Amino acid sequence: MDIKTEVLIIGGGATGTGIARDLSLRAIPCVLVEKGDLASGASGRNHGLLHSGARYAVSDPEAARECISENRILRRIAGHCIEETGGLFISLSEDSPQFRERFLMACEEAGIPTALYSRDQALELEPELNPDLLSAVKVPDGAINPFELVRANAKDAERHGAKLLFHTGITSLLIDQNQVRGGLALDLLSGEDYKIEASFVVNATGAWVNQVLKLAGLRIDMALSKGSMLITNQRLNQRVINRCRPASDGDIVVPNETVSILGTTSVRSEEVEDFEVTPPEVSLLLTEASRMIPAIRGARLIRAYAGIRPLFQSGGTGGDRQISRSFALIDHGERDGLKNLMTITGGKLITYRLMAERTSDLICRKMGVDVSCSTHLKPLPVVAESLRPKDRLQKIAPGGEVLCDCELVRREELEEILETMQFRDIRDILHRTRLAKGTCQGGFCVYRLLGLLHESGLVKESPNKVLKAFLEERWKGIRPILWGGALKEEELIESIYKGIFNLKDSVEFGVGSSE
Amino acid sequence: MHFDLIVIGMGLSGLMAAKTASESGSKVLILGKGMGALCLFSNTIDLLETLPKGMKLDEGLSQWIKDHPQHPYSKVGAKIVEEALTSFTSLFPLPYSFVSAGDGNSLLPTGAGTLRPTYLIPTTMVAGASVREQGGLIVGFKGFKDFYPDYAATLLGCRSLTLPPFRTFHEEITAAGLARSMEKESFREEIGREIRREMGNETRVGFPAVLGVRDPWGVKKGLEETIGAEVFEIPILPPSIPGMRIFNRFKEWLVQRGVTVLLGHSVSKAILRGRRCEGIRVSNPPLSSFYSADRYILSTGRFVGGGLVANEEKIYEPIFDLPVSQPRSREEWFRKSFFSNLSHPVHQAGILTDSSLRPVDDKGERVLENVWIAGSILAGHDSTNEKSREGVEIATGYMAAKCAMKK
Amino acid sequence: MTKVPMTEAKVWPTSNADACIRCATCMAICPVSRVTPLFPGPKQAGPGAERFRRPGDPSVDSWIDLCIGCHLCDMVCASGVNISELNLLAKAKYLDEKGRPLRDWLLTHTYLYGWLGSLFSPVVNWLLKNSAIKWMVEVILKIDRRRQLPGYQSPTFRQWFRSHHSKGDRRIAYFYGCYVNTNEVEVGKATVEVLEANGFEVTLPAQECCGIPMLGNGDFKGARKMGLQNVPNLLKTIRSGSEIIFSSTSCGHMIRHEYNRLLGIPGSEEVAEHIFDLFEFLRNLKESGSLNTHFKELPLKAAYFAPCHLRSLNIGLPALEILRLIPGLQLENIDADCCGLGGTFGFKKEKYEISQEIGKDLKQAIDRSKPEIVLTDCEGCRLQIRHLTGLKVLHPVQVLRDALLQRTDEEMG
Repeated sequence: MDIKTEVLIIGGGATGTGIARDLSLRAIPCVLVEKGDLASGASGRNHGLLHSGARYAVSDPEAARECISENRILRRIAGHCIEETGGLFISLSEDSPQFRERFLMACEEAGIPTALYSRDQALELEPELNPDLLSAVKVPDGAINPFELVRANAKDAERHGAKLLFHTGITSLLIDQNQVRGGLALDLLSGEDYKIEASFVVNATGAWVNQVLKLAGLRIDMALSKGSMLITNQRLNQRVINRCRPASDGDIVVPNETVSILGTTSVRSEEVEDFEVTPPEVSLLLTEASRMIPAIRGARLIRAYAGIRPLFQSGGTGGDRQISRSFALIDHGERDGLKNLMTITGGKLITYRLMAERTSDLICRKMGVDVSCSTHLKPLPVVAESLRPKDRLQKIAPGGEVLCDCELVRREELEEILETMQFRDIRDILHRTRLAKGTCQGGFCVYRLLGLLHESGLVKESPNKVLKAFLEERWKGIRPILWGGALKEEELIESIYKGIFNLKDSVEFGVGSSE
Repeated sequence: MHFDLIVIGMGLSGLMAAKTASESGSKVLILGKGMGALCLFSNTIDLLETLPKGMKLDEGLSQWIKDHPQHPYSKVGAKIVEEALTSFTSLFPLPYSFVSAGDGNSLLPTGAGTLRPTYLIPTTMVAGASVREQGGLIVGFKGFKDFYPDYAATLLGCRSLTLPPFRTFHEEITAAGLARSMEKESFREEIGREIRREMGNETRVGFPAVLGVRDPWGVKKGLEETIGAEVFEIPILPPSIPGMRIFNRFKEWLVQRGVTVLLGHSVSKAILRGRRCEGIRVSNPPLSSFYSADRYILSTGRFVGGGLVANEEKIYEPIFDLPVSQPRSREEWFRKSFFSNLSHPVHQAGILTDSSLRPVDDKGERVLENVWIAGSILAGHDSTNEKSREGVEIATGYMAAKCAMKK
Repeated sequence: MTKVPMTEAKVWPTSNADACIRCATCMAICPVSRVTPLFPGPKQAGPGAERFRRPGDPSVDSWIDLCIGCHLCDMVCASGVNISELNLLAKAKYLDEKGRPLRDWLLTHTYLYGWLGSLFSPVVNWLLKNSAIKWMVEVILKIDRRRQLPGYQSPTFRQWFRSHHSKGDRRIAYFYGCYVNTNEVEVGKATVEVLEANGFEVTLPAQECCGIPMLGNGDFKGARKMGLQNVPNLLKTIRSGSEIIFSSTSCGHMIRHEYNRLLGIPGSEEVAEHIFDLFEFLRNLKESGSLNTHFKELPLKAAYFAPCHLRSLNIGLPALEILRLIPGLQLENIDADCCGLGGTFGFKKEKYEISQEIGKDLKQAIDRSKPEIVLTDCEGCRLQIRHLTGLKVLHPVQVLRDALLQRTDEEMG
């Protein structure tokens, strides 16, 4: 089933789906391929922060201005993906008061509105804050659900004619006389391969850009920076809490639905899929975050995870925290003499739309088409009715079968989701719901999900194989935090699956899954 | 109040210890913080997965003991293990009793469609042992989220049937709710008729293990009469209704014997003088009650039961602060892969004891004179992966009480 | 966000919902979720829902009102999660926002008008049994007409005691509670007589309703008010050198634990140390060898049921231990969970069916035992068991009294 299109986009993260949406709104045909599911790279592995830009105001004013401008746009077009929590930058006794002054001025220069709160005002708003804090600066940070955001972009793109192919990799680029003409695609689940012909190819693969460029014998200078995060069992703060000091490890706690996410570390990595959170990272995050919110020390953790920041190095030295969070759009025709291939990388989740706009503008220029961007004006569609924690709580009794007891996901909700998607892999469902995101991390509900999928005839292989692969994947997230309550949970879950169910032997997702 | 023996922990090992001590005429107090692992994981009585088929219990066990000198079974000895199992089964006379298939393990179907080896089986599960060979109909209930008949049946080579929701429950029903409904004749008849209509040439029908709490045999018989086929139970996700039956039976027996049973509050502290325990404090805020005894048995389980607690640095035992044998650092507790072929080292952690089950330190020196240790808190075994959970609980609970009450 | 004053924030227990490992043991024991899907069960309603509640958000969990408050979930939780407290706090918030009907006020404030009931008991009792009145009560107040409201007695226990001259070597104070005072005077008399037979002079400290009906209905303010009145009176008694006993396990549980744990009433800790369940107290006498055990033979087949609040006192089954000393008394412990009345819960029209369904398990357990009488320490359980079985149901102290003292059959009523 060879495909012909105008633009081939590689990468189904925020940037890739953003470009697909932008182009299709401009009526330019495009096809997007993604080797996993939507948002399976850094777009889905971050702390879900709707940046105000304040974090970069002092160190990187350009990035800060981009952030606040996109922040305003996203509130307008993607309200349903956002919780407008607001954010605080808190100063503790050891934080320099001079920095706070610089911070306030820099925010003003970047156009980020601020308000200064006294200690008491801050504690009244957020009672769990360290009572030793000196002051807090209010900024328009928020929480964003990156999966919903990416799904909304994908849906809008599809609605306007784009074609999106998941679990599909590009195995080689079609190159003809210094010009790309598309790529060879491989369906990673069925093993089918086919050709996608295109006038332009956009490499929007984040940390994986060099793996795609390698297909053309090219390479750009990238720094891969691993950022690790921890999730608490309960939501400890209602606003985003940042530390008012130069960007450093463990300086943010983002509230997200029922949980809080502690972030982040910055560890240089050579591996794009290095998602292991190390013990020193765990202790560092706990030590730093509990300076801001002391209750974190005794709080139950439910998962650790990491994402890879693709940082584009335009030269200069210094640590990864100093590399600009601005993005880079590279025209390989100009840079390497390979025409119609572009790489878009760097940047942040919050600037995905701007990155898509710039990329689409470049394509339009090359095509000689004069249609301007409208992604900042048109609201994103709602993919599925998204239930806020409050709604979930209200619906549980007598509202039907709750399959995920921790996140209160009902059978009905899953059945609706299954109707909206073509089911290919259990992870696709996990990306689309809160299922398995709570206290027991899927210990009970994934078995139930498999029961439901099996009933519906959707699991082709042995459900136990999928179950084991899930448990192995789950393990990566919980192994770094196994003590206290999480260790009890682990004993419970292991006793169920290895004990009551007598499951044995390791299986990994994807390995032999086409059997 | 003063007792001859205080048993701390109300899991299977603690209950066994209390029973054994009470039979010797002692005045016994048993305390439990909650219902613990018994009502979560225990359906049948596991002894050892590696019990070779055809090999008699004492032979198989003797071999294991020879190979694993630090294992709790090695402290108890094959003969006492057998004695303990007999003592356990005596609490469950027919018709709801625990039986073995010959001398070895049986393979019983589970809620995940797998087979698991186990030693003593409640009579309501016996017919499941041959399901792989002889087939059957696996029945589940719409709205009961802890069992999926189609899932299990496919893997077991059986047919499945999901019964529609019944009048008695709306959209969702719990294991406890279902077990309660099962004890109603009208409900059994209603589902029995439905099943009978759907029966092919199957001669047996498997249900999730929720056939009543109080009278499972009566439920089984009732269903069999309506359906006209043999009925068996399949162990499922926790909570375990069969585990609750064991718990209830012990509790009923102990109360009847005059054993003081205190469920619901934790022992906050043991009061020690030298190498003797002089009493324990039980916290029920704002009060803290004091109880004393001549001897004590600690059977508080592992992490789920609260017998062992892990913080970021180490594993400790919170009541007596006994030395806990454990890997050197947290990084070594768990292996990189969940389904590693080798079990996670943390599972071997626990309390070291001498041959009389009294706690010792890493040099083998006895730490306390009047405290005995029983159950899964003991070091040197991995009950989940060895499939030795109930066997170790029963044997060490029995043995600890025997040792403690020896004059 | 509503701000909780520091004093109150400290008083209320901190949530340990984090300790829940989702094992669902509580789901196996909850008497309510076992019989109705309307209540999602302790795991969900307590620590589960706690993760979804935000300070300042209005309550959306109307089902929380179906928690019967039996504490059984707390008892079986190996992780020590204070599930029923979490439920009670959520229930209080929900009802504070929604407003409480007059019915709830009437059910929880019987102490204010109980004396009137006693004063006009012949008329009142006739009215309470009248089906037209019951119909009206159901329509207007939503109190289920199938439920018999307890009748009143005259004179009240306190009035009876005024003309009774208690004598003994040592003094003991008695917290008798509202129900004994106006509705089950006989239990009070039996308690006094048993204590006197053990050489105690009984005194009655000044007392009000303990407040548990209000607490059970999430009215923390009302319950606290009662506690603030009772504690100074009880302290005065204790400091005069007398211990206190109670015959109602519900009043006892309230005073001994909830006054401190949930309500933070000053001095409640000292009260807790000196207040005992009647049979716990007698068991202590037995342990020290000073219990009067001159029992006469009592050929009777009785079933004993341990009320939920006795279980949460965590003192074992002292009544069973003492009654077993009586020759001839055949005593069987009924192993059932909750009677289903839940204080005022089972009187409410919307909850009556649930209450009855829970009670069925207990009824069946009693039926299997075929006793002549049923014994239980809680007035709520006694009402419910009478309602369920039609059997004669007494406080165990009444049987103990009969074994200690010569009584004719007529007096045993």
